[in-house]
Amino acid sequence: MGNAQSGIGGPPAGDGEKGKDQKKEKPKYEPPPPTTRVGRRKRRTAAGPDAASKLPTVYPNARCKLKLLRMERIKDHLLLEEEFVQNQERLRGSKGEKGGLEQRQEEERSRVDDMRGSPMGVGNLEEMIDDDHAIVSSATGPEYYVSIMSFVDKDLLEPGCSVLLHHKSVSIVGVLTEDSDPLISVMKLDKAPTESYADIGGLEQQIQEVREAVELPLLHPELYEEMGIKPPKGVILYGSPGTGKTLLAKAVANQTSATFLRIVGSELIQKYLGDGPRLCRQIFQVAAEHAPSIVFIDEIDAIGTKRYESTSGGEREVQRTMLELLNQLDGFDDRGDVKVIMATNKIETLDPALIRPGRIDRKILFENPDQNTKRKIFTLHTSKMSLSSDVELEEFINQKDDLSGADIKAICTEAGLLALRERRMRVQMADFRTARERVLKTKSEGEPEGLYL
Amino acid sequence: MAKENEKSVKPDKGKGKAADIPEKKDGDASKTTQEKGGNGAGGGRKGEPQEEELSEEDQQLKSELEMLVERLKEPNTELYKPALEAIKTFIRTSTSSMTAVPKPLKFLRPHYKSLTELYEQWPEGENKVAMADVLSVLGMTYADENRLDSLKYRLLAPMEDPGSWGHEYVRHLALEIGAEFTSRQEKEEDTQDLTDLTMSLIPFFLKHNAEADAVDLLLELEIIDKLPPFLDENTYQRVGLYMISMVPLLSPPDDKTTLETAHSIYRKYNKLAQAITLAIRLNDIDLIKEDLDAAEDPVLKKQLAFLVARQQISLDTSDQDINEALNNTRLSEHFAALGKELNILDPKTPEDIYKSHLENSRGPPGSVDSAKQNLANSFVNSFVNAGFGTDKLMLVEDESNSWVYKNKDLGMLSATASIGMLHQWNVGGLDVIDKYMYQEEENIKAGAALAIGILSCGVRTELDPAMALLCDDGYLENKSVPIRVSAIMGLGLAYAGSQRAEFLEQLLPIIGDSSITLQVSAMAALSLGLIFVGSSNGDISSAIIQTLMERAEGDEPSLKDKWGRFLALGLALLFVGRQDDADVTLETLKAIEHPIAKHGGVLVDACAYAGTGNVLKYQSMLHLCNEHIDTSEDEKKGEDLFQSYAVLGLALIAMGEDIGAEMALRQFGHLMHYGDGIIRKTVPLAMGLLSASNPQIKVYDTLSRYSHDNDIDVAISAIFAMGLVGAGTNNARLAQLLRQLASYYHRDHNSLFMVRIAQGLLHMGKGTLSLNPFHNDRSVLSRVATAGLLTVLVSLIDAKSFILESSHYLLYFLVTAMHPRFLITLDENLQPLPVNVRVGQAVDVVGQAGRPKTITGWQTQNTPVLLAYGERAELEDDEYISLSNNLEGLVILKKVGNNPPYRIFTSD
Repeated sequence: MGNAQSGIGGPPAGDGEKGKDQKKEKPKYEPPPPTTRVGRRKRRTAAGPDAASKLPTVYPNARCKLKLLRMERIKDHLLLEEEFVQNQERLRGSKGEKGGLEQRQEEERSRVDDMRGSPMGVGNLEEMIDDDHAIVSSATGPEYYVSIMSFVDKDLLEPGCSVLLHHKSVSIVGVLTEDSDPLISVMKLDKAPTESYADIGGLEQQIQEVREAVELPLLHPELYEEMGIKPPKGVILYGSPGTGKTLLAKAVANQTSATFLRIVGSELIQKYLGDGPRLCRQIFQVAAEHAPSIVFIDEIDAIGTKRYESTSGGEREVQRTMLELLNQLDGFDDRGDVKVIMATNKIETLDPALIRPGRIDRKILFENPDQNTKRKIFTLHTSKMSLSSDVELEEFINQKDDLSGADIKAICTEAGLLALRERRMRVQMADFRTARERVLKTKSEGEPEGLYL
Repeated sequence: MAKENEKSVKPDKGKGKAADIPEKKDGDASKTTQEKGGNGAGGGRKGEPQEEELSEEDQQLKSELEMLVERLKEPNTELYKPALEAIKTFIRTSTSSMTAVPKPLKFLRPHYKSLTELYEQWPEGENKVAMADVLSVLGMTYADENRLDSLKYRLLAPMEDPGSWGHEYVRHLALEIGAEFTSRQEKEEDTQDLTDLTMSLIPFFLKHNAEADAVDLLLELEIIDKLPPFLDENTYQRVGLYMISMVPLLSPPDDKTTLETAHSIYRKYNKLAQAITLAIRLNDIDLIKEDLDAAEDPVLKKQLAFLVARQQISLDTSDQDINEALNNTRLSEHFAALGKELNILDPKTPEDIYKSHLENSRGPPGSVDSAKQNLANSFVNSFVNAGFGTDKLMLVEDESNSWVYKNKDLGMLSATASIGMLHQWNVGGLDVIDKYMYQEEENIKAGAALAIGILSCGVRTELDPAMALLCDDGYLENKSVPIRVSAIMGLGLAYAGSQRAEFLEQLLPIIGDSSITLQVSAMAALSLGLIFVGSSNGDISSAIIQTLMERAEGDEPSLKDKWGRFLALGLALLFVGRQDDADVTLETLKAIEHPIAKHGGVLVDACAYAGTGNVLKYQSMLHLCNEHIDTSEDEKKGEDLFQSYAVLGLALIAMGEDIGAEMALRQFGHLMHYGDGIIRKTVPLAMGLLSASNPQIKVYDTLSRYSHDNDIDVAISAIFAMGLVGAGTNNARLAQLLRQLASYYHRDHNSLFMVRIAQGLLHMGKGTLSLNPFHNDRSVLSRVATAGLLTVLVSLIDAKSFILESSHYLLYFLVTAMHPRFLITLDENLQPLPVNVRVGQAVDVVGQAGRPKTITGWQTQNTPVLLAYGERAELEDDEYISLSNNLEGLVILKKVGNNPPYRIFTSD
């Protein structure tokens, strides 16, 4: 080391001391070897002086006066802090030392900008040597051993990150904060889907279960604490196709203010070995960073099938991805406020480990609609259509067809198309009948009986 | 998220949680179309505009209810009663989901207004009351916050058990009661009806695992003292725990009432160990005696005596055995047993602690100041081997080459006094000191006097050797200032907290004697402060104030003497934890026109609220730190001392309560940033006080930063604070940091001396002692320990005139706070009884449902064991039961017999 660390000078010779001290020559002090702890890992542990600025956590979670009092105590102290700081700033300001806080900050900022210079090069941090030196490489080729400026936030520095380099001295003057894989930011839902609970016909039971398991623990954790139970971690929605599993998930996304990450099981299958599990890990890491959050994995059977002896590398990779998922769902690390919703229509093919309680606490079955529900779905879909007066939906509702929600929607759409074909502005009962027949026909033809023979 | 919306959630409870959920998260304008949609899971779509969509059974329910309402509106009074009954049944039997409003309530909502009008028209009678009952429940869904309809109708329908309407309703009612009570109190109206209603709600809460609600409600109505009759065997533990954890957050006088109520609860259920702990917290000697006398079982009585002895309260009983426990007589024995068990009996030399071969010092050390080095060695040696009775420096056989003579002047005093610490608590060690008492050299003689005091600190014997030896005129009235001061200090240490009246006549005249130097008077005041710590003794306070006045009027410069501050400190110690008892003294101090009065006032105020977490006092202390005082002129020198006291006061006040303590640490950061030198050099000390013997990384990392400060005073304070924070823990990281500091400062004598002291503190008692003033599961503040710590810290504010100059012996005041952090289990005959215990980090379980684990990350160990700060122990099996609720210090175990398989102390 040997280089003086910025910020910490040697202690001054004891100025108040007389006698003995004056005999000595002014000593040259060496700074103590600083301790090196770099990177994100540090931020997670509640260590270092930075942790001192955190607010204490408040227990219990139950709604009681004790909690209120503790919260108020924190508030009081924060107010006192604010008062003190404001007073001091005012005093400083009145003394006309350096102007107000903002002005000084601005000055400091501009000084830092001066030091950074312009333009700045972009490099890659290869290795940390000690607290203020590192090896960087730039796109142009050679690797440099450079110093790190003292104003760089060392918490953000970690091997592999992009750093800003001074154009002449090539010392590190800043860090380019980079989020994890761009793939994941795609999965984050920026725009809420338009479907809400009101767009779901029936499914009251299912909605209630999902809300209890996913939304309420994020909104009212104290309810669970009062009862002395741990809220469920995740739910799986299953049932035959077209019964509204994804629709419900969309509604959840629409209603919640939590971060909503949605992925499809097949997205987790990647070209290169190890990429799938890594993606899986990153998703949950992002979820934890943005907690509270909800992760929705559609078509989980793409990766969640039962494990079996397999020789193909691809198969094994898929299984490894699932194993990573297992670990993320209920592994060693506590994920905190991350809830998982999965959807599949083949629950029987899933690995039992994936859907065991503790990973997935609630299995919610979506059945084909009964009469009442059918009615609701029909009214939902027809409510925006211009129907002719002869349309009597009860006819379809009372028929014992095995219709799913999607089928009903298809009938309505088909009827509308038929009406369009005939350039009618209203959908008639006849359209509906034809549509129903068509839909039922294609539905039965969907079975592999004779289509491709 | 919702967690923070505590208050807003509560009022809305009645409307069903679902109703308020969508509002909160409705950030998106596009969603507004479905505002109704969020109104309950399935129920959302059944809102008023789409009524035709109701399912059949809902439709039926709705029409039935409407029919019933219609019936109520008809003139036929016959039908009223059955109709009301029917409505009640509907409401009660409806099961709701977690997310939706019960359906009957929803369907009745539109009729609420007409029903209230109807109610007004009805004649008085049974029906009207029943109607009020129903309206009260409906009011829960309808009333907005200001109307308190539920309560209004509940009061009009007094007869029924409100609990039958369910938990949600009762909670809502409790909320409205609280609101109504506050508004009525402002208007000074009668609140008896509210109280009566509350009384009918309490049993329901207690029965339904909502003891927190019960306590909250009673506190809100300021009738917490009415709680005990409602409790039973199953609930009192949880209620007691909840109340106790509330105490530091309540403003006086609520806190005292709550503690007293909790005490009476524990007394009622014969949990004397818990009761006496609370009595100690209340600082009520009569109550403590009463609890002690209430114990019929002699073994239990001994356990209680141990608890009392830990707080160093002096009580006397007629029973020999109990007295032994009360007097801590066998503390030394137990400590030796611990040492033997942990295999640390071998003495350590200071070099073992410094490990200077690990210091990477470059070049030869600066001019060798061996006197200072040797002095440091004396202190380190005494701290490290404290209580073990053996060492390799002082107590060696070789008389000719005694370590004492390697020190000069007052260094000899400190070296001799260290014998006292080596033989701490062991009265037999007096023989060793004896030979130093007859030395010619006055410093050695003085050291011996101090040693006696140190040795007897915290233990008492019938014979009172310390008193016999020190009250001798040869010491107390000696012409030599060091001897006299040492004797006075020795008395103060030996009888700290004992409040024995004999010393009044011995020491009071010394305080008042204006012919002697201020040092002697001040030390006498300090000693009396220690002996009568937290007693608000009027005689002493008036004597000290008198002296202050006389000296302020007479020879002005003498009060300016650096020792003047101990006069004020002695006064302050009298009021440790007495809160407003100190007001009179504060007023009197204001009358004295001398800066010392202001400084003293701050100290008294801070001490009076030590460990309370009182925010208002905290604020006033903070205000004192606001000023920037110009002390460049010579006259004004020392006038900013009160700011130091204020900073120490912040720590003193905040240390009782975890949240306040954490927040204070944040505040210290600001003080360091904005404060002047005087504040900056006190902040590290305050941090040390706040977390004595509790090495948290964030604290000592910060201190380590300050220890390289440009201002050498700050650095010295920070170094000492690092020692204080790690005192008795052997913390390896701190040890490493201190070694680095030793090489960093290897040319600066003063800093190096302080580093050595800090190293000694860190390894205090070879890692078996603690300086933390809180004991008994961090709930009780030991006033004696606080006093000792505070004395040392006050002297360190001006380290260069005291500790680093010649008054280094003031460091020995730490001895009052030193206590082994052991857990020793004893059988009924007080013989050590090794059992397996689980030791782990304590968990705050207040207000949690069920019976959660009280410790986490535990390890099983065999007693005796050491407990670090924040650790808790519990017995591993049910073979024994503990007579104390906290496994800490000396604990007596009782074997569980065959027939009563219950556990006396469940894990609470």
